Amino acid sequence: MGINDAWLLPLLPFAAFAVLLLVGKYLPRRGDWLAIGAIVAAFVLFIPLLADLLDNFDQPGFEELARSGWGWVEFGDFNLRLGFFFDPLAAVMVAVVTFVGSLIFIYSTAYMQGDPRYGWFFAVMSLFVAAMLTLVLADNFLLLYVAWEGVGFCSYLLIGFWWERKSAAEAAKKAFITTRIGDIGLLIGIILLWREAGTFDISEIFRFAEEGGYSTEYLTLAVLLLFAGAVGKSAQFPLHVWLPDAMEGPTPVSALIHAATMVVAGVYLVARTLPLFQLADPVALNVVVAIGLTTVMISATMGLVMTDIKQVIAYSTINSLGLMMVALGAQQVTAAIFYLFVHGFFKALLFLGAGSVIHATDKQEIDDLGGLQDKMPVTALTFGIGVFAMAGIFPLSGFWAKDEILHAAGAHLNWVVLAVLTFSVFLTAIYMARLYILTFAGRPRNEHVYQHAHESPPLITAPLIVLAALSLVVGFWAFDQVGEALGFPGGIGEFVFLVGPESFEFPVLAAVTSSIAALAGIAFVYGLWRRGDEPASLLARTFPTIHKILRNKYYLDDAYQWVVNNVVLLIGGIIAWFDRTIVNDTGVNGTARLGVLTGFQLKFWQTGRLPNYALAIVTGVIVLALVFLSVRA
Amino acid sequence: MIPINHFLVLSAIIFSLGIYGVLARRSAVLILMSVELMLQAAAINFITFAVYLAPGEFRGLIFAIFVITIAAAELGLALAIVLRIYRNKVTANVDEVDMMKW
Repeated sequence: MGINDAWLLPLLPFAAFAVLLLVGKYLPRRGDWLAIGAIVAAFVLFIPLLADLLDNFDQPGFEELARSGWGWVEFGDFNLRLGFFFDPLAAVMVAVVTFVGSLIFIYSTAYMQGDPRYGWFFAVMSLFVAAMLTLVLADNFLLLYVAWEGVGFCSYLLIGFWWERKSAAEAAKKAFITTRIGDIGLLIGIILLWREAGTFDISEIFRFAEEGGYSTEYLTLAVLLLFAGAVGKSAQFPLHVWLPDAMEGPTPVSALIHAATMVVAGVYLVARTLPLFQLADPVALNVVVAIGLTTVMISATMGLVMTDIKQVIAYSTINSLGLMMVALGAQQVTAAIFYLFVHGFFKALLFLGAGSVIHATDKQEIDDLGGLQDKMPVTALTFGIGVFAMAGIFPLSGFWAKDEILHAAGAHLNWVVLAVLTFSVFLTAIYMARLYILTFAGRPRNEHVYQHAHESPPLITAPLIVLAALSLVVGFWAFDQVGEALGFPGGIGEFVFLVGPESFEFPVLAAVTSSIAALAGIAFVYGLWRRGDEPASLLARTFPTIHKILRNKYYLDDAYQWVVNNVVLLIGGIIAWFDRTIVNDTGVNGTARLGVLTGFQLKFWQTGRLPNYALAIVTGVIVLALVFLSVRA
Repeated sequence: MIPINHFLVLSAIIFSLGIYGVLARRSAVLILMSVELMLQAAAINFITFAVYLAPGEFRGLIFAIFVITIAAAELGLALAIVLRIYRNKVTANVDEVDMMKW
């Protein structure tokens, strides 16, 4: 198995999807074992591929070696490949998708048990994995776009998995439409890149751009449009509104799609196309930083006041995605991808932990929970590890990754960004600690729920334990020694990089300040809790206005709803009116009625009497003859 | 030799008679006869031009033969139609046959 067998990776789950769709309901256990088998096989297949990649990725000619696939559409000069490209960046993504995906599939067998659409769930999840793997492995933009829409469509199906609930159907629609707005930008950006370069191939476009094939303004516009796609998919401000609502889907879906994999596709896209961003006007990267920073701040503040356990984690996801964008804006692919990698583990862990709570209690409002750590020790412990990782406490994985980003921001951006990010670390620690304490610690707020709570079955807790263990250790991949021990040439900086290998740097100052911020946040919440208080109600009492704004999500959803109601629907109404009266009644039916009318009038000329016709013919001939003669003369 | 004009005038007279017959007659059979007159006027023209403009060649003469043949075939067909109409309508008067209108 070499790196040019990478096309097999998406094929396995896709085959599982096809089989499940066609004959799934006749299979034992509705074929869940097939879906799990396919994704585990993809992970197993990934291992020799990774080994081969490690042998080759710094060799000359790697770019050609790493390609696989075949021609897809060919006519004339236009050449489109169903092509795959397996490089370190793709490898990290594949690792997260297949490994975390495998655990989540296993978890789902318990979580989704007894659901009437159990088989359908696994079919769509498999399709999602296939699309996601295609997305990260695609060697041309068009295939990437196809997969991009594919994952979006699966996300739509899975958010609306329980479509009998109106809120789920609405959330699915909202997610699809909101991300579509960004996707339009992505499509236009891809077409702009293609129009000048004449190819969709990513590396050829890079080469074309390096040779100065694009003018700076043109390239800037194109990359900003690409970024619009990333903004939609990765839930960046101002298109972040869909992600919290997407929590209407089953929890494993939230864990896999709306935390570990699909939402980081935007980060992946920007990381992949970062050479283009660098060649474009600096304004492009500044936009990335600004959007990322805004996203970090609004999500961290909104996360403070939410009361739905999954919603808080959703805001923490948006928060993390914003951090990755800031790192990319600082041109630090390593930092962003490292965070993406560890985030995949601890965020999946948090969601699966939340799912375990929901499974045990059927509640997801914090007000109904509390004190669960006695009843569900494994869930509480693993969830706690996830909370600490997210907050960035030494020595958990989140700490190393977050510090890489802070270091990147401090070294390549300015101190304002660094200060804002450090403050966001403080906020993150507060809302994550609040979430843990309100869910697992203290006295139960709903005695009835508490009495019926119980630890989840092993199929649920086992993935939690694995993910918790990994959340503890994957951060050490930053160190060269750890990387070397695992067979890598060094830490992640020697494997995933943009320009050249970078060895790990430990920014003591940033680490200390951010640790102080995080610990201060946790201590603050703990202190409040000892006095029987919590941050959100403290905020509600001291700054009711701010609390109200945050609870209403900065009124962004309302503003969008207003725009939809008053602008979009108005324009839609005008267009509908135009279509109905002008196009349909006048244009289509009008011409038809005109034909009927003239035909009705003219038909009386048809007497049916032979002499009349004969006379007409003769008259016609005479007239023609006269005309002919007069013209001749 | 008789000048060509004589023939052409004769042909024109016969043709006009045919037109008049087609327009003025009411009986289908008479109209058919008038149509025959027009065809034969055309045939006279063919022969005239063949003899005067391309002496020694047969193309025009052959066309005349064709005209006669086709006229015969057409008449056979037309008379059959007239007979059918007569069977249905008990008249061969074209004024009264106006089934082909709205």
